[in-house]
Amino acid sequence: MLEIDNLTVAYGPMEAVRGISFTIKEGAIETLIGPNGAGKTTILNTISGVIPAQSGRILFNGRDITRMSAHKRVPAGVVQVPEGRQILAGMTVRENLELGGYRRPHREALRDLARMEDRFPILKERCNMLAGTLSGGEQQMLAIARGLMARPKLLLLDEPSLGLAPKMVQTVFAIIRQLHDEGLTILLVEQNAHLALAVSSHAYVVESGKIVLDGPAEVLRTDQSVINTYLGQAG
Amino acid sequence: MNSTIIAQMAVSGAMMGLVYALIAYGFQLTFSTSKSINFGQGELVMLSAFFSLTLLNWGVPYWLMVPGGLLFGVVLGLAVERAGVRLALEQKSEGWILLTIIIGLLGFSAAENIWGRDDRPFPTPISSDALHFFGISITPLEISVAVGVFAVMGLIELFKRKTLLGKAFEAVSADRDAAELMGISATRTVMLSYGLSGMVAAMAGILVSPITTVGPTMASALILKAFSVAVVAGLESGFGVVIVGIFLGALESLTSFYLGSGWREAPGLILLILALAVRPNGIFGKATIRKV
Repeated sequence: MLEIDNLTVAYGPMEAVRGISFTIKEGAIETLIGPNGAGKTTILNTISGVIPAQSGRILFNGRDITRMSAHKRVPAGVVQVPEGRQILAGMTVRENLELGGYRRPHREALRDLARMEDRFPILKERCNMLAGTLSGGEQQMLAIARGLMARPKLLLLDEPSLGLAPKMVQTVFAIIRQLHDEGLTILLVEQNAHLALAVSSHAYVVESGKIVLDGPAEVLRTDQSVINTYLGQAG
Repeated sequence: MNSTIIAQMAVSGAMMGLVYALIAYGFQLTFSTSKSINFGQGELVMLSAFFSLTLLNWGVPYWLMVPGGLLFGVVLGLAVERAGVRLALEQKSEGWILLTIIIGLLGFSAAENIWGRDDRPFPTPISSDALHFFGISITPLEISVAVGVFAVMGLIELFKRKTLLGKAFEAVSADRDAAELMGISATRTVMLSYGLSGMVAAMAGILVSPITTVGPTMASALILKAFSVAVVAGLESGFGVVIVGIFLGALESLTSFYLGSGWREAPGLILLILALAVRPNGIFGKATIRKV
């Protein structure tokens, strides 16, 4: 479904991503793990189009989307739930959801809005509140629900556990697992390697803009270098 | 010196101040989506006024001229965006500053060549016979300015809050990247903001022309004061421009009454300098959390 071929991304003279290649199959859930500043978020931002690629290619369902602008990738099916959630704090919960379905026919979007509020009852309860007044966990759910409103084929999730209470993290990951069970293709970026490896089928370890290791998640979980670097402290 | 005269001056000045506020609101529209403004906005006011006058001279009835003039403003706004702003923004440069000034100068020359340098009267069906309220006289023409200003600003605000396209406009203003990730085209939203800003400029031209007459230089003083209002209120202040506009208009009118008309431009400039020195984000600027 997604094919990344020798992708390089630079901020000015500084290369943040250096010649990365990988593919994601339809229905898979895969994850990028690695330390802060390794370039994981940059990779996601380049797939969604917020940051331009310097060289290399991004193929989505066989179509070259490397130079396509971000807003056109959304109706094509590539939807990112950004890091820090980037909800529209000054708008209501419902308005956020409406805008998530901006590119869809109005009626369909309205139907999905009702479905989304059934799925996330807390969002229905808070539908007329300003999104900025929600708790961190609620905001993360809103961000995911807003992403789903666009009917993604590939969902890019950037640090969904960031800044959440442990219990909320469990809830969010239960949602991610559920989405995967429903057949959605997911690419996850996570600091919490434990959780990420637990939900994913395949994982890539990114360091200094390169993939240094990759394999099935259960294999990486037993890999000594991964345990030492990413799973160590938490045991 | 009696208080009725002071009130009279303040009210008349405030009406003019609403026009400054309207033009300042046009600055805000484009600043919110793109952090850029059209430095040739005054020429848009003037060109739209001339075009509207031409429509009247062709025999178009006044109430049909208004939408025609507004449409012309939209077209001018879009042209400014395309020719002067888009490329600069794509390259993340400040080139739009110079380009919009140049486009304004072109517009000025065009107006001189097409319509000449003379100031011309702008006919209006709205009466200038004073009505009296509590000893203060006010003309229906002045009232029409206030009504026009509030109607245009109110409609645009309603559009931004109640329609999906308007909410997308607000989304781009709040967070351009997040909006793109929802499938909203930031480029088209910036276009929209320039179109609306052009329409606002045209409305200002149509409203003010019967009072000031129409000429190539009609907007040069207006635009300076609108700019003062925008900066003093803050380019992200929403309705703050109305309050500052009314205040400045009244202050000007009182200044020229007490100190002589030569001092008329002083308050706007002094306010601008003070604002830039003391509160560069404006009185109503982003120091506090703004909920839209």
